[in-house]
Amino acid sequence: MAIRSGGLDKKSKASSEIPSSSLADIAFLLLIFFMVSTVFRTDKDRPIEWAEAAATEKIDEKTKNILNIWVERDGSIWINDSPVPMAEVSDVVLPLYAASEQHLVISIRGDRDTPYSFMDILQQELVSAGVVRVVFATALERQMTRARR
Amino acid sequence: MAVINQKKSKVSDEIPTASMADIAFLLLIFFLVTTVFPKDKGLEVVLPEQGEEVAVSQNNILHLIVRTDGIVDVKRGESTSIQQMRPDDIETLWRTEVTSNPNLIAAVKTHPDAAHRFMIDVLDALQLAGAERISLQLLEDF
Repeated sequence: MAIRSGGLDKKSKASSEIPSSSLADIAFLLLIFFMVSTVFRTDKDRPIEWAEAAATEKIDEKTKNILNIWVERDGSIWINDSPVPMAEVSDVVLPLYAASEQHLVISIRGDRDTPYSFMDILQQELVSAGVVRVVFATALERQMTRARR
Repeated sequence: MAVINQKKSKVSDEIPTASMADIAFLLLIFFLVTTVFPKDKGLEVVLPEQGEEVAVSQNNILHLIVRTDGIVDVKRGESTSIQQMRPDDIETLWRTEVTSNPNLIAAVKTHPDAAHRFMIDVLDALQLAGAERISLQLLEDF
């Protein structure tokens, strides 16, 4: 009986090791989370400098319904990794807009130093393509840098 | 002898699971590294439909003329007096203006040579102030 031996001979049943059997489960959970949440980009980023805005908001639309239009400093337009002449933007956007059943959101990614005349022509092109929702892509401006300006 | 039968086989009949976590972490790190979170954020505007032109009373228009140096000329309706402002001050301006006239429309007219970021600064200030009726135009007579 345990009492007779003073309870000292008996080894403790509690393991001194951290249970590692659930480690693989945790790892797989994380793995599956990242697999599901990963979205592969359709186009490569153009080298532009972002304009900053404190009112920057996330676009409330699925990533597949967002079309990026890159406007570089010299006014050249890039859509889906290929340069597009300014006058042909509406011809490119129109079929994409129809294919998305009017859900397409255009993200205008203009360089911060692009002259506004290019942005205006681009907006005219988008209006003629019938696009309604447009987002001027910006980087979030912190209130700290805002106060310093 | 009974002793032989009692001896258990030393070869385990289980698949070794010790390296499972290593494999899982390898995959995890691979996906962590290859994941690119898209940078889909910005200032949303709604473009007018083609041919859509609405006559608005000049009293309900606040002209914000963005100059090439980023300074904003503020002009109320038909009055010719021009007030010069920094884009940051537009936010408070709009808040005070819109309380006196809830139907006010912000007409942002940008000089063709003004940098895109100056227009964004004004749009930013207007959106921070909660403005919804914004019209983006190109400055024509300058």
